[in-house]
Amino acid sequence: MIEAATDALLGARNPDGGWGAEQGKQSNTETTALAVLALSALDGSLEQEISRGLAWLADRQTADGSWPLSADVDGASWTTSLATISLAGFAAHRPGALRGAHWLIRQEGRRPTWWVSLLQRWVLPQGPTIRLNPNLKGWPWASGAFSWVEPTAYALIALKKVRADVAGSEIRERIQQGEMLIYDRMCRGGGWNYGNSNVLGVDVPPYPETTALALIALQDRQAETANQISLDALPRMAADVESGLALSWTSLCFSIYGRDTSNLRKRLARTYEKTAFLGATRTLALAILAWKDGSNGFRV
Amino acid sequence: MASGSSMRTLGRRQFLLGSAALSLAPLIKGCSRPSESPWERGAYRKTGQSRVAVLPARDYTVPLKDILVGGLKAFALGVQGKTVVLKPNLVEYDPGGVINTHPALIAATIEAFRSLGAREVLVAEGPGHRRDHEYLLTASGLYSVLEDARARYVDLNHDDVRPLALRSHFTKLRQLYYPETILRADLLVSMPKLKTHHWAGITLALKNMFGIIPGSIYGWPKNVLHWAGIQESILDINSTLPAPQFSIVDGIVGMEGNGPIQGEPRHCGVLVLGDDPVAVDATAARLMKIEPRKVPYLEKAEQFLGNIARERIAQIGEDPEQFAQEFKVIESFKHLAGLSE
Repeated sequence: MIEAATDALLGARNPDGGWGAEQGKQSNTETTALAVLALSALDGSLEQEISRGLAWLADRQTADGSWPLSADVDGASWTTSLATISLAGFAAHRPGALRGAHWLIRQEGRRPTWWVSLLQRWVLPQGPTIRLNPNLKGWPWASGAFSWVEPTAYALIALKKVRADVAGSEIRERIQQGEMLIYDRMCRGGGWNYGNSNVLGVDVPPYPETTALALIALQDRQAETANQISLDALPRMAADVESGLALSWTSLCFSIYGRDTSNLRKRLARTYEKTAFLGATRTLALAILAWKDGSNGFRV
Repeated sequence: MASGSSMRTLGRRQFLLGSAALSLAPLIKGCSRPSESPWERGAYRKTGQSRVAVLPARDYTVPLKDILVGGLKAFALGVQGKTVVLKPNLVEYDPGGVINTHPALIAATIEAFRSLGAREVLVAEGPGHRRDHEYLLTASGLYSVLEDARARYVDLNHDDVRPLALRSHFTKLRQLYYPETILRADLLVSMPKLKTHHWAGITLALKNMFGIIPGSIYGWPKNVLHWAGIQESILDINSTLPAPQFSIVDGIVGMEGNGPIQGEPRHCGVLVLGDDPVAVDATAARLMKIEPRKVPYLEKAEQFLGNIARERIAQIGEDPEQFAQEFKVIESFKHLAGLSE
């Protein structure tokens, strides 16, 4: 299975050395960063492919340290975290990863202004109180938008991977705030979805893929009750899910937390046989990482 | 640490209502200065008369393809040799819920357009909450339907994109990135579920177009659009869509109450078809006994995108009155209920 997936991943590579969301689509930062991590986890002579992928990433980093999503999309993007994670593992590209980290430190999700807070508190009708605290500083998908779980988790992993090389207290404060935001968004009973645990008084269920990713971002806080509750809830969430993305992230999370992944990896193989992950290159890369226990790329 | 955080918390509703209140500013501005039209000349699509077909379909086991072919023929869409993109509503999956456009209706629509000579019929969606489209497709049953029909699915959240300057300016956004699959379509078919919506009031053909805006750029949820204003974004997204468009509303079983995800099923036994999405939405709103002119985006859309007035909508098929039933709405949208004409 892993050979077929590797062939598919290599076959999806664009002439520019990067990878798109699917074969034939324009190269983008997220998929290229994950593909580089996946190829690095394989035993083989793929140095040239890895090197060209790294060059694709390095060439597209902008002067402020960030990465756009792709050549057709202007502006810095959330994929800066993934490029930083990917480059951080290669000594020659460590400076680029550090520039990415410095950009991340300066980025934060939008929070209500003081007068909006006043309006919400005193003028608008009262709604049910929920756990969402809009004043916590995390990371958004797009500049100028609200903070959500997935981009915050990626940013935390990126910053934690390079924190030993970043001076100053700001990185520690941003990591702490980001962790607080993720804990704040936890669903009742453990786990995370995109970032709303309750809407209009009704609980919103967690997703396995987001839960696994959040737990990976919080891997250095394994003793926290929230981590334990969510880790225990994750197998139930993933039990009925046959999707490459969910099973790959869950397997990587379990690997990092020292749990058995053999059954998950078998299910992942069955899913690939059935759906070929709908051609999603990102999922192919994550599945290869899961099959090869390539969790090192996400360890902090 | 998490749930025990001592920091002050706000209700999500309060938070979004605040955002909504802020985002009303451009709308109010547009109203107060009529000389500055919020839409460009090229965005004007309203015709003197629109047509909407209301077709009975008791449940998802009836011959939906035949019903659809009959309805589609009335609109003479000329799809022979063309690429038709179906945009269902696939936002989330709940095994006990009725969130999404039913796979059986999507299958029947694929067959119907093929039988009318379409060169390719593909299904495209950019789910707004959940990135994992493989899960949504397999769990909802849509994956099997597409396999059986040998129809291609495009994840619009990760499609190649092109920036388009917006042709109306209800938001302060100047441009949005649109997926190439949408821009290349010869006919784009919005296939919403008949639902109430806890932030927008209702979600039908026009609101369904939120799903084409790529999450890889705007996030999950498509939060940039929320900050820009939900009602205003609906207008700007639709005004900029390349014509022509068609709409097929899944009103066989709709959703009432706390939609679009956590509401309750409501059987209506009807499909609503039309080539004017504003007229389709107005008719579908009336099926839910919701007054379309009280829905801000529909009231604005009537000025340039399509028709709301009953006398400007020629009904094909059944009289909508016989299917109309009062859908529950959440407290903050009680004012929408009850028809005024």
